[in-house]
Amino acid sequence: MGLEVDIIFKIAGVGIVVAFLHTILDQVGKKEYAQWVTLFGFIYILFMVASIVDDLFQKIKSVFLFEG
Amino acid sequence: MIKLTGAILIIIATTWTGFEAARRLSERTRQLRNLKSALLSLEAEIMYGHTPLHEASRRLAGQMPEPLAAFFASFADRLTNTETTVKVAWEDSLSELRRNAALKSGELEIMRQFGETLGRHDKTSQQKHIQLTITHLEREEADAKEKQMKYEKMVKSLGFLSGLLLVILLI
Repeated sequence: MGLEVDIIFKIAGVGIVVAFLHTILDQVGKKEYAQWVTLFGFIYILFMVASIVDDLFQKIKSVFLFEG
Repeated sequence: MIKLTGAILIIIATTWTGFEAARRLSERTRQLRNLKSALLSLEAEIMYGHTPLHEASRRLAGQMPEPLAAFFASFADRLTNTETTVKVAWEDSLSELRRNAALKSGELEIMRQFGETLGRHDKTSQQKHIQLTITHLEREEADAKEKQMKYEKMVKSLGFLSGLLLVILLI
């Protein structure tokens, strides 16, 4: 359970920092960089979440289908 | 414990990089301003003091802050000690300045073109060339000031935030 809480905080941290970066880059008129930063942050978190969801599905499979 | 030390080191390093970049931006405006006042003093020395060029640049080396002091000192040194033309001596000193100063190639090109005219004309056209160079430098200074206003804060916070992001990603 400790692992999951850790990952939630990590996602929150990445979100906050990326949001700050986006605002700052937006303010000085570098809109395209701001969008790239946000996009990369999003992709990174998506990968993290995907691996966790994969874990979840494996667990469900092992519970209901009695597989390894 | 090691993780924490590493995280702090990363944040310090990136923040330092950001501040260094911001310092370069503000340094450029300062040096351009100094360069302008150096040319004004040079004009005064030539027009009203009738000072020879090596003497004038030695005096400028005393008046100006670094790195322009080193530039004028080495220029005066080249003029007195080596057998060379003003243009070559000016360009050699300018390439030394390029290494030490935060100036960009635009203003260095302006200075190089100014060096080509230096010491080849009579007083009044020399004065005109100095005025022309000052006008060009003023344009560059306005550009540098605008860039400083725009990017100084951004670069500072960008350094810190990218460090923070790196730490979060690595933990």
